Amino acid sequence: MYDTIVYNSPKLIGHIMKKYTALILLFLTVSVFASEIEKKQIIPDLKVKLMDGQKVTIHELLKDGPLLIDFWATWCKPCKKVMKHLNQYHLDYANKGFKVLMINQDSPRSMGKVKTFIRSKKFDFLIGLDPNQKLAKKLNGLIMPTLILVAQDGTIQWRHQGYMPGEEKEIEYQIRLLLGLESESLENNKL
Amino acid sequence: MKKYISLFFLSSLFSAEFDYNASIISNFGDNYDFYSYAENQLNLNLFYKDIEAWVQYEYSNPPEIGFTMNDIRKFRIEYSQDDYTVKLGDIYEIWGRGLVLNQFDDQSTNFDNGIRGLFLGYEKGPLTLNHISGNAEIWNFGPDLRTPYYNNSHNVIANHIQYDWASYSLGVSQLLSKEVHQKVFGSDAYVNHSLKGIHGSWTLNNADIYLEYVDKISTEKLNLLYDGPHDSLKTGHGFYGNMNFYFGNFGLSTEYKRMAFDVGHSDFTADDYGNRIAFQAMPTLGREQNSTLLGRVAHQFNFNDERGVQISLNGTLLNVNIVSQYAHLSRNEEWQSLTLFNWINSSIEGYLPSSDPSALPYWENYHEINGYHLNDKLYFKLGRGENKDILKTLRYFEGEGISVNETWIHTDSTEWQDDWVYLDSSLVGVDTFVYKVESKMWQVSKAITYPLELSYSFNNGYNLAINFEYQEQTKQNISKGNSKLYSTSDSSWTLINPDNPDSFFVQKDNLFSYGTKQIDTQINRLVSLTIGNASKWSITFTHDQTNAFSGPTTIDPFYNPLEAFIYGDLKYFTGKRNKIDPPGFIQNRWVSMEVAYNLTSSQRISILYGSLQGGLYCSNGVCRQIAPFNDGIKLSYSAIF
Repeated sequence: MYDTIVYNSPKLIGHIMKKYTALILLFLTVSVFASEIEKKQIIPDLKVKLMDGQKVTIHELLKDGPLLIDFWATWCKPCKKVMKHLNQYHLDYANKGFKVLMINQDSPRSMGKVKTFIRSKKFDFLIGLDPNQKLAKKLNGLIMPTLILVAQDGTIQWRHQGYMPGEEKEIEYQIRLLLGLESESLENNKL
Repeated sequence: MKKYISLFFLSSLFSAEFDYNASIISNFGDNYDFYSYAENQLNLNLFYKDIEAWVQYEYSNPPEIGFTMNDIRKFRIEYSQDDYTVKLGDIYEIWGRGLVLNQFDDQSTNFDNGIRGLFLGYEKGPLTLNHISGNAEIWNFGPDLRTPYYNNSHNVIANHIQYDWASYSLGVSQLLSKEVHQKVFGSDAYVNHSLKGIHGSWTLNNADIYLEYVDKISTEKLNLLYDGPHDSLKTGHGFYGNMNFYFGNFGLSTEYKRMAFDVGHSDFTADDYGNRIAFQAMPTLGREQNSTLLGRVAHQFNFNDERGVQISLNGTLLNVNIVSQYAHLSRNEEWQSLTLFNWINSSIEGYLPSSDPSALPYWENYHEINGYHLNDKLYFKLGRGENKDILKTLRYFEGEGISVNETWIHTDSTEWQDDWVYLDSSLVGVDTFVYKVESKMWQVSKAITYPLELSYSFNNGYNLAINFEYQEQTKQNISKGNSKLYSTSDSSWTLINPDNPDSFFVQKDNLFSYGTKQIDTQINRLVSLTIGNASKWSITFTHDQTNAFSGPTTIDPFYNPLEAFIYGDLKYFTGKRNKIDPPGFIQNRWVSMEVAYNLTSSQRISILYGSLQGGLYCSNGVCRQIAPFNDGIKLSYSAIF
């Protein structure tokens, strides 16, 4: 058994290919068309409850300019690492109407600590609360962190899952590109 | 029905009027233990004017945990206009902090308490009204770690009203459920649950407060042929309070809970019913850890019978982030074992948790500093976590015993042929001797863990990260007192030295061992090294090592090339090693390598090769034991579009 599984990896891959041909085809289709599909999508006008008690909709937040949505939780390590950079972009590009909306997915288990965490860090970006992942499911933000960059007209310009140190440059590049502060020709060098 | 749903979604995809998004998550795994799985999920959201729809299709054969499926797993259609919302399908709502209703679908623990039915909502200004009615099938695990066994069916009607002022909020909720409860022994139980809850909050500039209370009554239908009222079964209540204070760069969070839906001196089983129902997923008051080793020593919270306090401090000092947390929990009752099987309880005085081992107390504290240096290129984190958990009590008696000595005299007797024929006697004195009896035995786990993380980002986009976690854990049976046994023949605790009742002892038996050798302290070390190129790829090597097991010692019968490479074993590659009779140094170690690649910014694929230790995994207060994954391959793909 060991030999068949561990040493004959091609056999395993063949087994997977045979059994899941339809799904693999679906993934390949998605891979090819994903970038095209992205640009045509309009973000739905979902209601968001902010940490300060205000209720807004995503389209209301887009009135002044583009919006970067990020899904996070207090127990998510990479989410906390990227926050510092996102707060900086929220401040740096505020004069262009740009905002960052951080949608928190802490369950009631750790919800009590969300406010103290945010207020102790003195972050300026907007905090939305989504304790049972209603928004995350509607915007496919269940993998954390997931970033969604939305243009002022509501079209989704860019999506990104996960965060590794150094990716903040790519995030800033995408924001600048959307704000017209970066040359489009460089885009090909980026993911 | 599902056919029509599929047709609706497929036709909608081709309509230009619809906006949509979707995600795919696929996981495959196979290893020498036949622990193979293949799970695929497609989530599709559609948006058309005031209508939203969601469908989740799953093809799993079999999934990592759960049931094999090739069907629409979840769906929902929502219609919102002005202040009204109607939802049909799988409903997931949360009211307050979840003492009455907190619904989620957590695939990592296979916990799903969603209701399939109808949701009606009205929201105008500060007023919110919600109604839910429908059915839920909730599954719990039995003896098998991968396939759920026990089923609880609920027919639910629930209502919630909330009013939000500027800085105040007040809500009331009600939930009625008719449950068919599957038991371990005997036929199903038919139970009605009635919950009434109230929650409120008050926000100030530098502080806020949140309080929630729920009252619960359950009744049982004992005679299925009789259509009369149910017999009363259990009553209970739950309370949760949270106060936060903010000063400068610091925030202090304090929490208190008291969940009293049942009482018990040991774990609850499927035969304990009528207590808290699965819709009640309330705050647990323990830190939600993101360290692997701390996660393995997590406390298994008891939603039926537990009280506790938690204090946590978050702050920033000299550009260094500080986290400090302390929690103390216990059951609501202290217990005495009058015999080995007859336990009686007494309520803990006051509101705070007890430290008495019979109340199964748990303590944890965690302290961490983290921050950035060298122009934000270097990230560091250093933590220290300490847990002490009384896992169970095997006997727990502290009282008094009485020794009775009687003095008799013999009078008026007759002797015949050297035998006494008549013997008259009378009791002339009784001496009683009262002595202290103590017979206690409990199981305790103590762990100290140090998680360390360093990562550095280079200018060219590359980054290097090292995670190191070190843990020392002890697990012992502690016996204490002057008695170890209970004698049923004379209904008393048998002293270890009847001639000297003051012979008290304390004995500690270590529960960790390696093979046949007992080990005092289990030492765990987890090292992972990640090299990555931002936005493109990353490679992670993980080395997990222990020196002892609390159960049987696991044996890795195979030797894979990754293990040989990590240990620099040239004999393996020159064919001088017998691969099915590996050297001793690979035992009690788990080595893996994971390569992750971002196909695009929204598509990621990863391949893991090697072994993972497994162990306790907890999420949202729901825990499960994950089986080890040995010498195998895992393949994961995720995409959002």
